[in-house]
Amino acid sequence: MQNARDTFYVALRDRLAAVNPARTMVVRSVARPGLLVEENELASANAPADVFRLRWTGLRVDATGALPLVVMNCEIRYATDGNAGNGGMDRGRLLAAMDAELVAAVNAGLQNVVKMSYAALPAVAMGTNVWWGDVAFAAATVNGERLERLATVEVFSFQEAGEL
Amino acid sequence: MNAVAVRRAADVLLRGVGGRAVMLRMPAPASVGDVTEQLGLAVPQFQDVELAPVVLERGSATVRTMLVSANAVNELVGSMGYSASSVLFADAFGVLVDDVLMEVESVADTELGGAAAVYRITLREPVALQV
Repeated sequence: MQNARDTFYVALRDRLAAVNPARTMVVRSVARPGLLVEENELASANAPADVFRLRWTGLRVDATGALPLVVMNCEIRYATDGNAGNGGMDRGRLLAAMDAELVAAVNAGLQNVVKMSYAALPAVAMGTNVWWGDVAFAAATVNGERLERLATVEVFSFQEAGEL
Repeated sequence: MNAVAVRRAADVLLRGVGGRAVMLRMPAPASVGDVTEQLGLAVPQFQDVELAPVVLERGSATVRTMLVSANAVNELVGSMGYSASSVLFADAFGVLVDDVLMEVESVADTELGGAAAVYRITLREPVALQV
Protein backbone atom coordinates (compact mmCIF):
# COMPACT_ATOMS: atom_id res chain seq x y z
CA MET A 1 0.00 0.00 0.00
CA GLN A 2 2.80 2.39 0.87
CA ASN A 3 4.40 1.87 -2.53
CA ALA A 4 1.11 2.79 -4.23
CA ARG A 5 0.83 5.93 -2.10
CA ASP A 6 4.39 6.96 -2.85
CA THR A 7 3.94 6.28 -6.56
CA PHE A 8 0.74 8.29 -6.77
CA TYR A 9 2.31 11.21 -4.90
CA VAL A 10 5.35 11.33 -7.18
CA ALA A 11 3.19 11.03 -10.32
CA LEU A 12 0.84 13.79 -9.17
CA ARG A 13 3.73 16.02 -8.06
CA ASP A 14 5.45 15.70 -11.45
CA ARG A 15 2.23 16.31 -13.36
CA LEU A 16 1.31 19.37 -11.29
CA ALA A 17 4.83 20.73 -11.76
CA ALA A 18 4.47 20.26 -15.52
CA VAL A 19 1.07 22.01 -15.59
CA ASN A 20 2.25 25.00 -13.54
CA PRO A 21 6.00 25.08 -12.80
CA ALA A 22 5.51 28.36 -10.93
CA ARG A 23 3.49 26.69 -8.17
CA THR A 24 6.22 25.99 -5.68
CA MET A 25 6.60 26.03 -1.92
CA VAL A 26 9.51 26.40 0.46
CA VAL A 27 9.91 23.59 2.97
CA ARG A 28 12.80 23.96 5.40
CA SER A 29 14.55 26.49 3.17
CA VAL A 30 14.27 24.41 0.00
CA ALA A 31 11.91 25.20 -2.89
CA ARG A 32 9.97 22.27 -4.31
CA PRO A 33 6.73 21.69 -6.28
CA GLY A 34 3.59 22.83 -4.48
CA LEU A 35 2.30 19.45 -3.31
CA LEU A 36 3.00 17.76 -0.01
CA VAL A 37 1.80 14.67 1.80
CA GLU A 38 0.80 15.81 5.27
CA GLU A 39 1.74 12.55 7.00
CA ASN A 40 5.25 12.71 5.51
CA GLU A 41 6.05 16.17 6.87
CA LEU A 42 6.87 17.41 10.35
CA ALA A 43 3.64 17.86 12.31
CA SER A 44 2.55 21.47 12.10
CA ALA A 45 -0.52 23.52 12.91
CA ASN A 46 0.26 25.68 9.90
CA ALA A 47 -1.77 24.95 6.74
CA PRO A 48 0.05 26.67 3.88
CA ALA A 49 -2.05 28.41 1.22
CA ASP A 50 -1.67 28.15 -2.56
CA VAL A 51 -0.30 24.61 -2.43
CA PHE A 52 -1.92 21.19 -2.55
CA ARG A 53 -1.97 19.13 0.65
CA LEU A 54 -2.52 15.42 0.20
CA ARG A 55 -4.02 13.21 2.91
CA TRP A 56 -4.71 9.48 2.78
CA THR A 57 -8.01 8.58 4.40
CA GLY A 58 -10.22 5.62 3.41
CA LEU A 59 -8.86 2.16 2.71
CA ARG A 60 -10.54 -0.99 1.36
CA VAL A 61 -8.99 -4.32 0.42
CA ASP A 62 -10.81 -6.79 -1.84
CA ALA A 63 -9.13 -10.16 -1.44
CA THR A 64 -11.34 -12.15 -3.82
CA GLY A 65 -8.97 -11.95 -6.81
CA ALA A 66 -5.58 -13.55 -7.44
CA LEU A 67 -3.97 -10.41 -6.01
CA PRO A 68 -5.69 -8.31 -3.34
CA LEU A 69 -7.15 -5.13 -4.85
CA VAL A 70 -6.43 -2.10 -2.67
CA VAL A 71 -8.68 0.96 -2.96
CA MET A 72 -7.46 4.08 -1.16
CA ASN A 73 -9.14 7.44 -0.77
CA CYS A 74 -6.88 10.38 -1.33
CA GLU A 75 -8.00 13.79 -0.10
CA ILE A 76 -6.39 16.81 -1.69
CA ARG A 77 -6.93 20.04 0.23
CA TYR A 78 -6.00 23.46 -1.01
CA ALA A 79 -6.76 27.05 -0.15
CA THR A 80 -5.96 30.56 -1.23
CA ASP A 81 -6.20 34.01 0.31
CA GLY A 82 -5.80 35.72 -3.07
CA ASN A 83 -3.00 38.14 -3.76
CA ALA A 84 -2.43 40.76 -1.07
CA GLY A 85 -1.70 43.28 -3.82
CA ASN A 86 -5.21 42.78 -5.15
CA GLY A 87 -6.78 42.98 -1.72
CA GLY A 88 -7.66 39.30 -1.99
CA MET A 89 -10.31 40.06 -4.59
CA ASP A 90 -8.79 37.51 -6.96
CA ARG A 91 -9.11 34.60 -4.54
CA GLY A 92 -11.94 33.06 -6.57
CA ARG A 93 -9.82 33.16 -9.70
CA LEU A 94 -6.83 31.65 -7.91
CA LEU A 95 -8.95 28.83 -6.51
CA ALA A 96 -10.36 28.20 -10.01
CA ALA A 97 -6.80 28.05 -11.34
CA MET A 98 -5.93 25.42 -8.75
CA ASP A 99 -9.08 23.47 -9.66
CA ALA A 100 -8.00 23.51 -13.31
CA GLU A 101 -4.45 22.43 -12.48
CA LEU A 102 -5.76 19.49 -10.49
CA VAL A 103 -8.10 18.43 -13.31
CA ALA A 104 -5.24 18.65 -15.80
CA ALA A 105 -2.96 16.60 -13.57
CA VAL A 106 -5.40 13.91 -12.47
CA ASN A 107 -7.94 13.53 -15.27
CA ALA A 108 -5.96 14.30 -18.40
CA GLY A 109 -3.82 11.68 -20.10
CA LEU A 110 -3.24 8.18 -18.81
CA GLN A 111 -4.64 7.64 -15.35
CA ASN A 112 -2.11 4.99 -14.43
CA VAL A 113 1.61 4.59 -13.82
CA VAL A 114 3.89 1.66 -13.04
CA LYS A 115 4.06 1.09 -9.30
CA MET A 116 7.49 1.99 -7.90
CA SER A 117 9.24 1.06 -4.69
CA TYR A 118 11.14 3.94 -3.12
CA ALA A 119 12.42 1.88 -0.18
CA ALA A 120 15.86 1.98 -1.79
CA LEU A 121 17.22 4.48 -4.29
CA PRO A 122 17.16 4.43 -7.23
CA ALA A 123 13.47 3.50 -7.15
CA VAL A 124 12.59 0.05 -8.45
CA ALA A 125 9.73 -0.60 -10.87
CA MET A 126 7.30 -3.23 -9.63
CA GLY A 127 5.17 -5.69 -11.58
CA THR A 128 1.80 -3.95 -11.44
CA ASN A 129 0.31 -0.51 -11.98
CA VAL A 130 -1.28 2.15 -9.82
CA TRP A 131 -4.38 3.70 -11.37
CA TRP A 132 -6.97 6.22 -10.30
CA GLY A 133 -10.39 7.67 -11.06
CA ASP A 134 -11.41 11.22 -11.88
CA VAL A 135 -11.08 13.90 -9.25
CA ALA A 136 -14.29 14.84 -7.39
CA PHE A 137 -14.65 18.33 -5.96
CA ALA A 138 -16.54 19.32 -2.81
CA ALA A 139 -18.10 22.75 -2.51
CA ALA A 140 -15.67 25.57 -1.78
CA THR A 141 -15.80 26.80 1.79
CA VAL A 142 -15.09 30.26 3.13
CA ASN A 143 -12.89 30.55 6.20
CA GLY A 144 -12.45 34.23 6.92
CA GLU A 145 -10.63 35.71 3.95
CA ARG A 146 -9.54 32.23 2.84
CA LEU A 147 -11.25 30.11 0.18
CA GLU A 148 -10.76 26.38 0.69
CA ARG A 149 -11.57 23.29 -1.32
CA LEU A 150 -11.44 19.56 -0.72
CA ALA A 151 -11.03 17.25 -3.70
CA THR A 152 -10.94 13.47 -3.56
CA VAL A 153 -9.46 10.81 -5.81
CA GLU A 154 -9.83 7.05 -5.54
CA VAL A 155 -6.50 5.30 -6.08
CA PHE A 156 -6.33 1.60 -6.97
CA SER A 157 -3.48 -0.89 -6.90
CA PHE A 158 -2.82 -4.60 -6.54
CA GLN A 159 -0.98 -5.76 -3.45
CA GLU A 160 1.92 -7.79 -4.79
CA ALA A 161 3.33 -10.84 -3.03
CA GLY A 162 5.69 -9.85 -0.22
CA GLU A 163 4.72 -6.20 -0.43
CA LEU A 164 3.91 -4.34 2.78
CA MET B 1 10.06 55.11 26.57
CA ASN B 2 12.12 53.80 23.67
CA ALA B 3 12.00 50.26 22.27
CA VAL B 4 15.27 49.12 23.89
CA ALA B 5 14.10 50.20 27.32
CA VAL B 6 10.76 48.47 26.81
CA ARG B 7 12.48 45.20 25.87
CA ARG B 8 14.78 45.41 28.88
CA ALA B 9 11.81 46.05 31.11
CA ALA B 10 10.06 43.01 29.63
CA ASP B 11 13.17 40.90 30.27
CA VAL B 12 13.32 42.05 33.88
CA LEU B 13 9.62 41.38 34.33
CA LEU B 14 9.88 37.85 32.94
CA ARG B 15 12.95 37.04 35.04
CA GLY B 16 11.33 38.57 38.10
CA VAL B 17 8.31 36.28 37.92
CA GLY B 18 10.47 33.19 37.69
CA GLY B 19 11.48 33.18 34.05
CA ARG B 20 13.08 29.97 32.91
CA ALA B 21 14.69 28.51 29.80
CA VAL B 22 13.20 26.20 27.18
CA MET B 23 14.64 24.82 23.96
CA LEU B 24 13.40 25.67 20.50
CA ARG B 25 13.80 22.64 18.22
CA MET B 26 14.79 23.68 14.72
CA PRO B 27 15.03 21.24 11.80
CA ALA B 28 18.01 21.45 9.47
CA PRO B 29 17.33 22.64 5.91
CA ALA B 30 15.90 20.00 3.58
CA SER B 31 18.05 18.36 0.92
CA VAL B 32 17.49 19.73 -2.57
CA GLY B 33 15.65 17.22 -4.81
CA ASP B 34 15.70 14.49 -2.14
CA VAL B 35 12.53 12.48 -2.75
CA THR B 36 13.07 10.40 0.40
CA GLU B 37 12.31 13.42 2.61
CA GLN B 38 9.12 14.13 0.66
CA LEU B 39 8.07 10.50 1.17
CA GLY B 40 8.79 10.51 4.89
CA LEU B 41 11.69 8.07 4.51
CA ALA B 42 14.45 10.42 5.67
CA VAL B 43 14.37 12.37 8.91
CA PRO B 44 16.00 15.80 9.07
CA GLN B 45 18.64 16.67 11.66
CA PHE B 46 17.46 18.86 14.52
CA GLN B 47 19.16 21.58 16.48
CA ASP B 48 17.96 22.67 19.93
CA VAL B 49 18.56 26.32 20.75
CA GLU B 50 17.89 27.96 24.10
CA LEU B 51 15.11 30.45 24.52
CA ALA B 52 15.17 32.46 27.77
CA PRO B 53 13.65 34.05 29.75
CA VAL B 54 10.21 32.55 29.24
CA VAL B 55 7.17 32.16 31.47
CA LEU B 56 4.73 29.31 30.96
CA GLU B 57 1.09 29.27 31.94
CA ARG B 58 -1.52 26.59 31.41
CA GLY B 59 -4.37 27.67 29.15
CA SER B 60 -6.45 24.49 29.07
CA ALA B 61 -5.82 20.81 29.55
CA THR B 62 -3.79 20.53 26.37
CA VAL B 63 -2.71 24.08 25.65
CA ARG B 64 0.02 26.12 27.31
CA THR B 65 0.87 29.72 26.70
CA MET B 66 4.47 30.84 26.73
CA LEU B 67 5.58 34.44 27.15
CA VAL B 68 9.05 35.00 25.81
CA SER B 69 11.28 38.04 25.74
CA ALA B 70 11.56 39.76 22.36
CA ASN B 71 15.28 40.23 23.03
CA ALA B 72 15.75 36.46 23.17
CA VAL B 73 13.74 35.96 19.98
CA ASN B 74 15.58 38.71 18.13
CA GLU B 75 18.93 37.20 19.09
CA LEU B 76 17.89 33.88 17.58
CA VAL B 77 16.47 35.51 14.45
CA GLY B 78 19.78 37.29 13.92
CA SER B 79 22.14 34.45 14.79
CA MET B 80 20.24 31.84 12.76
CA GLY B 81 19.84 34.08 9.71
CA TYR B 82 16.06 34.30 9.64
CA SER B 83 14.33 37.26 8.07
CA ALA B 84 11.68 37.63 10.77
CA SER B 85 10.45 36.06 13.99
CA SER B 86 7.35 34.74 12.19
CA VAL B 87 9.59 32.72 9.85
CA LEU B 88 11.60 31.39 12.80
CA PHE B 89 8.49 30.10 14.59
CA ALA B 90 6.92 28.79 11.37
CA ASP B 91 10.06 26.74 10.72
CA ALA B 92 10.39 25.50 14.31
CA PHE B 93 9.39 21.88 14.89
CA GLY B 94 8.37 22.65 18.44
CA VAL B 95 9.39 23.82 21.88
CA LEU B 96 11.03 21.42 24.29
CA VAL B 97 9.76 21.99 27.84
CA ASP B 98 11.16 19.56 30.43
CA ASP B 99 11.78 16.94 27.73
CA VAL B 100 8.24 17.28 26.34
CA LEU B 101 8.06 18.51 22.75
CA MET B 102 5.14 20.87 22.24
CA GLU B 103 3.83 22.04 18.91
CA VAL B 104 3.73 25.76 18.15
CA GLU B 105 0.10 26.56 17.44
CA SER B 106 0.17 30.33 17.12
CA VAL B 107 2.39 33.31 17.80
CA ALA B 108 1.42 36.87 18.69
CA ASP B 109 3.45 39.77 19.94
CA THR B 110 2.83 42.65 22.29
CA GLU B 111 4.15 45.86 20.85
CA LEU B 112 5.26 48.76 23.02
CA GLY B 113 7.23 51.79 21.94
CA GLY B 114 7.00 50.76 18.30
CA ALA B 115 8.65 47.37 18.67
CA ALA B 116 7.72 43.89 19.88
CA ALA B 117 8.48 43.57 23.59
CA VAL B 118 7.07 40.13 24.39
CA TYR B 119 5.94 37.21 22.25
CA ARG B 120 2.96 35.14 23.33
CA ILE B 121 3.30 31.63 21.91
CA THR B 122 0.51 29.09 22.15
CA LEU B 123 1.83 25.53 22.54
CA ARG B 124 -0.09 22.29 22.25
CA GLU B 125 0.91 19.25 24.26
CA PRO B 126 1.44 15.98 22.38
CA VAL B 127 -1.56 13.64 22.19
CA ALA B 128 0.41 10.96 24.04
CA LEU B 129 0.42 13.10 27.20
CA GLN B 130 -3.24 14.07 27.10
CA VAL B 131 -5.37 12.50 29.81
